[in-house]
Amino acid sequence: MGRLLLIYRLVVGDIKRRPVQSALLAVVIVITATTLTLGLGLRNVAQKPFAHTRAATRGPDIVIQGQPNRGARGTPARAFRPLAHATGVAAIGGPFPLAFARLTAPGIDVPVNAEGRTSTPTAVNQPLVTAGRWVRPGGVVIEQGLAGALGLHVGDRIRLRGRAFRVVGIALQTEQAFYPACTPGLVWVTPGDAGRLATPSDPLGYEVDVKLRHPSAARAFWSTAAANAFSKAASGSTISQSWEAIKSEDYRVVTIDQKALLIGSWLLALLAIASVAIVVGGRMTEQTRRVGLLKAVGATPRLVAVVLLAQNLLLALAGAAAGLLVGWLLVPSFSDPGRGLLGTPPSPTLTLVSMVEVICAAMVMAVAATLIPAARAARTSTIRALNDPARPPKRRPRLIAISSRLPVPLLLGLRLGSHRPRRTVLTTASLAIAVTMIVAAVTLQHEVDLKEQTSSQSGLFISSSIGGRVTHLVWTLGAVLVVLAGVNAIFTMWTTVIDGERPTALARVLGATPRQVSAGLTAAQLLPGLVAACIGIPAGLGLYELAGGHVATAKPPIMLLLAMVPCTLIAVAVLTYFPARAGARRSVADVLRSE
Amino acid sequence: MTVESETSVLSAQGLCKEYGKGAALVRAVQAVTLEVERGELVAVVGPSGCGKSTLLHLLGGLERPTAGSVRLGGSALERMPEAQQARIRRRDLGFVFQAFHLVDELTALENVELPALLAGASPRGARARASELLAQVGLADRASHLPSALSGGQQQRVAIARALANEPLLVLADEPTGNLDSSATTELLRLFEQLHARGQTVVVVTHDERIAATADRLISMRDGAFVDETKLAGGTARPLSAMAGLEA
Amino acid sequence: MVPLGQVVQLEKIEPLQGYKLRIVQEVVLALLAKQASHGYQLQARLALALGPLGGALNAGHIYVTLGRLEKADLVRARRVDQAGRPDRKVYELTAAGRERVHEWLSDTSWPKPAPAEFHLKLVAAAAAGLADPVRLIDKQRGELLVGLREAQRAALAEPAGSVAGLLLEGVVLRLQADLRWLEECARYWNAAKG
Ligand SMILES: Nc1ncnc2c1ncn2[C@@H]1O[C@H](COP(=O)(O)OP(=O)(O)OP(=O)(O)O)[C@@H](O)[C@H]1O
Ligand SMILES: [Mg+2]
Repeated sequence: MGRLLLIYRLVVGDIKRRPVQSALLAVVIVITATTLTLGLGLRNVAQKPFAHTRAATRGPDIVIQGQPNRGARGTPARAFRPLAHATGVAAIGGPFPLAFARLTAPGIDVPVNAEGRTSTPTAVNQPLVTAGRWVRPGGVVIEQGLAGALGLHVGDRIRLRGRAFRVVGIALQTEQAFYPACTPGLVWVTPGDAGRLATPSDPLGYEVDVKLRHPSAARAFWSTAAANAFSKAASGSTISQSWEAIKSEDYRVVTIDQKALLIGSWLLALLAIASVAIVVGGRMTEQTRRVGLLKAVGATPRLVAVVLLAQNLLLALAGAAAGLLVGWLLVPSFSDPGRGLLGTPPSPTLTLVSMVEVICAAMVMAVAATLIPAARAARTSTIRALNDPARPPKRRPRLIAISSRLPVPLLLGLRLGSHRPRRTVLTTASLAIAVTMIVAAVTLQHEVDLKEQTSSQSGLFISSSIGGRVTHLVWTLGAVLVVLAGVNAIFTMWTTVIDGERPTALARVLGATPRQVSAGLTAAQLLPGLVAACIGIPAGLGLYELAGGHVATAKPPIMLLLAMVPCTLIAVAVLTYFPARAGARRSVADVLRSE
Repeated sequence: MTVESETSVLSAQGLCKEYGKGAALVRAVQAVTLEVERGELVAVVGPSGCGKSTLLHLLGGLERPTAGSVRLGGSALERMPEAQQARIRRRDLGFVFQAFHLVDELTALENVELPALLAGASPRGARARASELLAQVGLADRASHLPSALSGGQQQRVAIARALANEPLLVLADEPTGNLDSSATTELLRLFEQLHARGQTVVVVTHDERIAATADRLISMRDGAFVDETKLAGGTARPLSAMAGLEA
Repeated sequence: MVPLGQVVQLEKIEPLQGYKLRIVQEVVLALLAKQASHGYQLQARLALALGPLGGALNAGHIYVTLGRLEKADLVRARRVDQAGRPDRKVYELTAAGRERVHEWLSDTSWPKPAPAEFHLKLVAAAAAGLADPVRLIDKQRGELLVGLREAQRAALAEPAGSVAGLLLEGVVLRLQADLRWLEECARYWNAAKG
């Protein structure tokens, strides 16, 4: 009992003594846990959404849209009838009237195809209502992807070609890729309403949905006799699409997003591990002296290890809990692209299992990062731990010789930076990862901008395009990475300041000005920043290629990429300014007295 | 206004330093006035906690006084911004500490050349001066040793060489022999005597009677204030032989 | 055998020009223990041992001492002819002298440190309210430091390995001890003052 109390006191005491470091460790773990939560949440998205949706909506193998032959007599139904008897056709749905219209509402103006449907279910292509009910006069049902993109809900009022409608339902379908992969979007109305939407300049078209005996032959079907039969039935501007094409369109959105997410979360995981290593390592070097004191008063190596582990575990636990919450709140915005398919609920549920997984991962991370330093601390001899407060810095004769030729801030910076090479490498890596992601994001943004320009010139509407979605995702990931790298930079600076407390105090006694000292401390971080920018730019372009983009078509402006170097340096300088200044301001007398 | 004598290097007037507030108020230094002439060696002695280190920090501009003024070579330290203080420090002041405070990863020679580099000397000039100083303190053969490979006495001699790197107007030493044994202290004494003989102005805070005895002037401090001042230079003692017991 | 009374008697012999004759007598006797020597040889030996403190010790003192020792039958002089030398006497120990040397060497009495007088001075000063003990201590410290300064200078001036340096080191350490004791006194009287 007494021992538990002691451990508790030591743990809480230390967390209180160094609140900033403790908070930073917690922040790093929060971010990591958030990432994990996101990853796990997205894993819950159904593995085969298209197959499920296709089955549930009796998805067509082939979709044909066009005008019936002008020469054909009678109803459109009769005109398309020969198609039903073509070889290989199992069933057909339709023909359904199609009217082109603009869907308008306050703040919305998008082109849609309004498909006329009755309340009788069809054998092929029956949309699945996920909210509200099916069409009725004056009531429109909106495709789920489109509703999601436009933010429309059941009960909203909209206009189609100026006519007032009320949204009565939202439905899934697989006759075309969900919005925005396929534009114009799709809505369903009654055949009567569809007819009223037609004008002489935009006459009604028709759609026939074909179910084949052998769905795998969808592509081959066109080169057979069926095509002849069809060309007799329809003429004019016919469009046809196979289910494979629809699926690949749908997946284009999902896979690009998933790829970006996958790569992004790998980078995040790497960065998070680097961060935890930096933070825990930094804390441990400060702990050595405390370990010595503990042992001097009779603490066993095991007790020492337990104290060190306990305080990191405590922070890890707190961080994991916060991370779960943040991740849970963020998941919906990340899973957005999947909303046009079945089995992709807008907010993936966090199961108990995945919560346990996140907490365990945070604990494992904290333990892994603490284990080695804790074991080392517990093993070091009491006297050594007492005598040298931290691992003595390594001597680098070449660097010392070179630095003595440099201006004072660089001299100080180079020497301070070389004290902890491993930490410097970790910081460089974390900054490089962030730069990589930002370069990829910039490239993507540029490609999307280019496309948007050309498409707006040609008058086509793609406001909420796939590109936009992916860019949003990539930028979000980039922002998270930047935050994490920023936390790392600040933390590394803190530890550098603390490590360098004595040498910098000495330099000031010997006549270095506070500005030289803070400039030196900042320079110690700018060097890794420079290296990181130089690595990150090509790495970011490589990542873009890896994720399926083409740098050659994206043509990111060289100047923009080169601007990453000064931007990185400025960001690092800004982030490290305050800790550096604090380091340069501390009373010299205090530092030297505490020896 | 006090009229400063031509030869005054350091002049402190009514120096006060307080730490804390209310019940926790500590008057570490109270109304200290001190003039140090060029070439003078002044020792400050007193019981532990009486404010000697604090006084030295005030004199060197490492801490700002609560009240009073410090003039070093004619410039008022206490009113300067820190950057300017730093410039004064590297040009006119050398510090020696009880804990040596050498930079662990720099060799003896590199430690000694550090102040010159900080002051913007050429690397070559700094190195030459550092070698010369190391030779003066008798450590020419230890130039490339790291502090960890030097004895306490040797480390302190390196620290003294470092304090002299920029030919300072004034050397401030705080318990320079506090961590040394008797024979290392003797080495240091010899160095202090040499410094003194060369006309280096020194203010030293010490517990060690032998270091105190090298001074021209001895100042006793108690509770933050000067309580006694003894001129040792030119004082007459009993004949040495009497002290050795050769007299009745 | 020499009766013990003689030792007492020897101590009462008047000091000569500031040197405690007793010591010189014993030392001279001891120096003669191994072999007979001329007076000037003894003098050179002593001068070496005392270094800068031996300044006032001239040959005359040695001869006076030798004369007294001879009278006390502790040494005897032999005349040897030596060309070109003024001094023809060689001194050697008698049996009584040898005995005396042994006694001296085995005597462990130590020149007494003298804190009592100053201590009582402080007590008395404080009791009578005549003077501030702390001021007395400060004055005394100054006095001792001036001495220390001189002794130290002399010690530092000695070449390494000099035997006289050892004597000066003794002086320095003694003074240090006294100064430390004064520090303790200061602490006490400061506290007593309130
Ligand atoms: N930063 C500080 N905050 C509060 N009090 C302080 C601080 N620094 C010193 N003091 C107090 O000021 C007084 C003088 O301290 P100082 O270090 O100058 O003593 P000193 O004479 O050098 O002692 P020593 O001989 O033990 O080194 C002490 O009472 C000390 O507790
Ligand atoms: Mg002190």
